[in-house]
Amino acid sequence: MPQQLAIIVLVDVGNALESGTLDGNTYLFDNMKLQGSTNQGTGELVTAINGSYWLDGSQASEQVLNWLPYSLGSIPPTVPRGYTAERARQTDQQALADLDALSVKPPATDTEAAAELGRIKRTVGTRIKTTRRTRGRLSGQKILDVTGQVVTDENTGAHSYPAPVITDVFGAAVDEKIMYPAEYGSPDLVTDGWYWSATVDTSRPGTYAYSMRIQLHRLVQEGGEALWQPVNLTCQSDIKVTSAPRRNAFTKAGVGMLPIPPSPPRP
Amino acid sequence: MTTKPRQRVEENNGAKRPISITAVVDCVGVLATGSVHGQLYLYDTNKAGGSTGFGTEELRTRVRRGDQLLWNVLALECEAYVSIDDIVVDREVCEPERRVYPGTDVAYWIATVKKDGITSVPYQIKFKVGTRTEAFTAPVSASLVG
Repeated sequence: MPQQLAIIVLVDVGNALESGTLDGNTYLFDNMKLQGSTNQGTGELVTAINGSYWLDGSQASEQVLNWLPYSLGSIPPTVPRGYTAERARQTDQQALADLDALSVKPPATDTEAAAELGRIKRTVGTRIKTTRRTRGRLSGQKILDVTGQVVTDENTGAHSYPAPVITDVFGAAVDEKIMYPAEYGSPDLVTDGWYWSATVDTSRPGTYAYSMRIQLHRLVQEGGEALWQPVNLTCQSDIKVTSAPRRNAFTKAGVGMLPIPPSPPRP
Repeated sequence: MTTKPRQRVEENNGAKRPISITAVVDCVGVLATGSVHGQLYLYDTNKAGGSTGFGTEELRTRVRRGDQLLWNVLALECEAYVSIDDIVVDREVCEPERRVYPGTDVAYWIATVKKDGITSVPYQIKFKVGTRTEAFTAPVSASLVG
């Protein structure tokens, strides 16, 4: 079983939407710095993929890559899964409780009643319109700001953007059959259940480029209603496959080459 | 605490999104080397406004009076634990405060810039990493610039 390696794709969604490009607005990381990956935290990450071989020189196993898209300046991915849906429920319940209280004990004047209703309306926030295109993950949710509060005036631009979504992994590394990407589903708490993963053929050393198609969402007003309009952009990255044998990484076990030579049979 | 009421008013006006400052921490690297140095990548959302030093430990965030700043942290390994323990900055410039996302225990730090015309105000972020009880302080300083 090969080690599962993660590549974080951190996108400055606001700036990317504004400038219409992911160039300069995407920062890539992997957890292979000690394996020789370079340019961590920039748009020019080169992911090191070290081939692994048995003692006889045959290929031991493929490498597995996983991509995790995150949004810079949004509600972080560390909040529980389905957080926006949960907040929509919480604020609805709060508004219902407030309305209930209002009906039990009505204010003395109309002005006070109007003020109270206005306050409840602000608690409710704005719900995203559902269309056939936007049905699914983002539908029926409320617009939240980056502190998790509902947004009452979506024209202020105070909203938090939904996390970017990778919709395809393609390019030279895929065309040359070095990398075999696909989208998988799992009960993964960080990525909302869907993630892109690839196995890499480590038997052909070289540097290969690949591209990611990434979907961002712009908040737009249509017919007086708010909806998330998908915006598709692409960015590029590289993998560098080397054939040098892997080094042992077990703590305090030295840095000898892997695989560890077979020990003599026990008596 | 004379600044509290004004801060509240500015929040309610909610003119725009705060400038988010995100620290990406290589938790395994921090625990292995015993230092944040070389394991920290800082970003903010004010690139268009003139912030510089993206992806380094010396992020320079361009700010003006009244700007809201929001700090959060991401772990490079998704199973690792990291949080911001404190932000050490000149209280004359801003007073970061820890809050949590409603209904969760996920924290963020938030502050409002009080002054205009600052040249460069360095600040340091302290991180809690893994199960270590003592916080790690970033040895190189990020800064707010006017």
